[in-house]
Amino acid sequence: MREAEGTSTPDALLAVRAGEGDEEAFEILVRRHGPVLLRLASRLLGDHAEAEDAVQESFVNAWRRLPEFRGEAAFLTWMYRIVTNRCLNQLRARRPTTGLDAVPEPVAPEYQASPVRAAESTAAAAALSDALAGLSAEQRACWVLRELHGLSYEDIADAVGISHPAVRGRIHRARRQLMEVMGAWR
Amino acid sequence: MAMNVPPPRDEEAEVASDVLPCGRTLSAVWEACDDGTTAADPHLAACPHCSAAVADLGVLDDFVRRERATEAEAVAEAERARATSVTDRVMDLVRRELRPGRPLPLGEPAEDLWLVESAAARTFRAVADAMPGVRAGSCRVAPVAGAGATAEARGPLRVRIEVAAGLTWTVPELARVLRERITRAARETLGLDVRVVDIAVVDVLVAADDDAHRPNGRPR
Repeated sequence: MREAEGTSTPDALLAVRAGEGDEEAFEILVRRHGPVLLRLASRLLGDHAEAEDAVQESFVNAWRRLPEFRGEAAFLTWMYRIVTNRCLNQLRARRPTTGLDAVPEPVAPEYQASPVRAAESTAAAAALSDALAGLSAEQRACWVLRELHGLSYEDIADAVGISHPAVRGRIHRARRQLMEVMGAWR
Repeated sequence: MAMNVPPPRDEEAEVASDVLPCGRTLSAVWEACDDGTTAADPHLAACPHCSAAVADLGVLDDFVRRERATEAEAVAEAERARATSVTDRVMDLVRRELRPGRPLPLGEPAEDLWLVESAAARTFRAVADAMPGVRAGSCRVAPVAGAGATAEARGPLRVRIEVAAGLTWTVPELARVLRERITRAARETLGLDVRVVDIAVVDVLVAADDDAHRPNGRPR
């Protein structure tokens, strides 16, 4: 099928079609939502190549799981969950779990080009990007999903796999920390 | 990423215990900002601690706005290229894992001709999509129940299709036209013996609104 004339087919219909094996419907969903999911993955992982791999894997995973997708969430919300999950797993695997008393480590070289900087070029974006790199993976995921992607607290809790109060806590902590960094920049 | 902060552990306690010198909690002040209810509480404007907290959040919001504005601008080109390459890679992989569905009997009873369900469904959905203001969703094709139908039995078929339609259609009119066209396409285009066409209108289409694709109304 082609997305041409006036009315675009709603996600919900396309997702059902894709679940029944209509790969062309699935392709429309991938084209429609790929860009925003790539942006999310780039912000979380701080690397475009890794972000592309993460989004690619997430979509293929979604294709396999679509026959069981019952539409209890919107397709894009569901994809946010899959991509966030995939990115958090990757971030957690990057380094051994930091113990509670761990000494803070110096900035890793891979992070010289940090989450948002890779995509955006203004000084403000660069400052924000550096500040974001200083957050824990979960704090960053919560804050980015809330402030840059506009998800509800419920959807963030689902995507990150933590409770609603924990989401509020992560965002609060993230804001405080971002403000400290940005305060110096202002 | 660089963990120059210890992992979060008592964030929830921290949220509760973040008390400004005036006795308000920082989280309560920021929640008022989030909810747009700062004007309803005169203390927030009068208190230097609270107004400083509000101003701080304003600075951060400003960065967020700029970040969103930047993203709306020129980043586009490289990003589009990346998105296209991801789409191509995804679809290459997907086409190696197609789900064609059950085989459906085609042609005369004596023939051993079959068509997979997904191919039949594709044709019927296209019939619906070709009607103005109509979009097809689910489409299942199966042997008419009770005809002693096993998966491999040859016999008449039933189509069950779900559609969304604009307000220009009445449901009976839509059902009549779609049923007739699907039956004809089954016979003339595919050679399938379709006896029953069930049509369900599952949604109303309101002219092209992109907001339907966002999880909630907030811009990004």
